[in-house]
Amino acid sequence: MIPTGEATLGPFFPPRYVDAAANDLTQFEGRKAQGEVIEISGRVAQEDGAPLENLVVEIWQADAQGIFRHPADPRHAQADPGFFGWGRAATDKDGRYVFRTIRPGAPAGRQPHVNFMVMFSGLLRILKTTMFFEDGPDPVLSLVSNRRNLLIGKKAEPTLVTFDIRLRGENETPFFDD
Amino acid sequence: MATIIRPRDERTQPARIVPGYPQTPLRNPREPLVRREPTLSELTGPLEVAGRVKLLGGDIAGHGAAQAIGQLMHLRVRVLDEDGAPVGGTVVEIWQANAAGRYIHPNDDDHAPPDPNFYGAARLVTDESGAFELRTVKPGAYPVPTGDGWWRPPHIHFSVFGKVWLSRLVTQMYFPGEPLNAQDRILNAVPDAAARERLVARYVPPTGNPHNALVFEHQIVLRGKAATAEQP
Ligand SMILES: [Fe+2]
Repeated sequence: MIPTGEATLGPFFPPRYVDAAANDLTQFEGRKAQGEVIEISGRVAQEDGAPLENLVVEIWQADAQGIFRHPADPRHAQADPGFFGWGRAATDKDGRYVFRTIRPGAPAGRQPHVNFMVMFSGLLRILKTTMFFEDGPDPVLSLVSNRRNLLIGKKAEPTLVTFDIRLRGENETPFFDD
Repeated sequence: MATIIRPRDERTQPARIVPGYPQTPLRNPREPLVRREPTLSELTGPLEVAGRVKLLGGDIAGHGAAQAIGQLMHLRVRVLDEDGAPVGGTVVEIWQANAAGRYIHPNDDDHAPPDPNFYGAARLVTDESGAFELRTVKPGAYPVPTGDGWWRPPHIHFSVFGKVWLSRLVTQMYFPGEPLNAQDRILNAVPDAAARERLVARYVPPTGNPHNALVFEHQIVLRGKAATAEQP
């Protein structure tokens, strides 16, 4: 069967769908996630640099040992029971999102990374990208030769990583099609 | 269980930049997207999202004295994968305008009245057969403030998770026979006519119960096929 066509989230995504604490990945089912707690934060802007409010950002990442909580991961039986791996945030009036999460470990053959999705009015398709913590050999990072620095989060403080997302224009974030 | 994700036929998916939709050229990348073979990271994804978010159920039409104004309707939807296999246990988020075409949202203006008995948001989980049912009122059309006569036809928004990161879908469903369908800039951003047709629900003639509501059926197909032994 042919996958259904995408459409924009539009301007009326119910605010209640951004649940309180949906951007906090540091605990799950009453358990604390293992690993180093970090904040990932950034500003999302359009072509003219204007910040975008109420844009929806979702992330998906491995746990502190680099294991995905999903049966397709051969190591998933050892996944951290206190870590769900998914979160959602909406940007504020300055276009800023914040996630509280743990620093992911390196999945097999990969650098540690966090998958991002951006959904918003004017985006007929979900935009997907991947944030890395540092440069290094990685099959996804290596696809983006000259702009790879734009996929690497900046260490603002020991436990704060900033990752700005520019949808279009200067320092435009590389997005993936898969 | 491994999932295979193949590139989609671009003609079945909307253009990113749409004439007459002024936000699209400001918000979509100028650079070509980077083609990527999916890795384990995108071929896994959040399961049991229902444990992380508040479910609202699928009955949003209200009852008795608190029934919403508008044409009562039942929508029966099945969520399938590319094999046609049901996608059960996945979270579906639904939002829509009221019968007058008004959303309960700070972004909506006063072009039409709110209905105190209609909020317009349902959040539920598909059953084992990938099915869910929504009891609602048929949404009204509404004008888009582009100032050139663009009206959105009646439609319902869906956000669906599926089994892996790349099966995540945000889409809209339309109604058969609506004259505004032919000029809608979002529906018609999909180049392929058959793909557009699949975004339109099917009206079910009233042969069975319930008789007090219109019945529509719809199908949502998420990306992904099961990996089998024959496939490398
Ligand atoms: Fe809408």
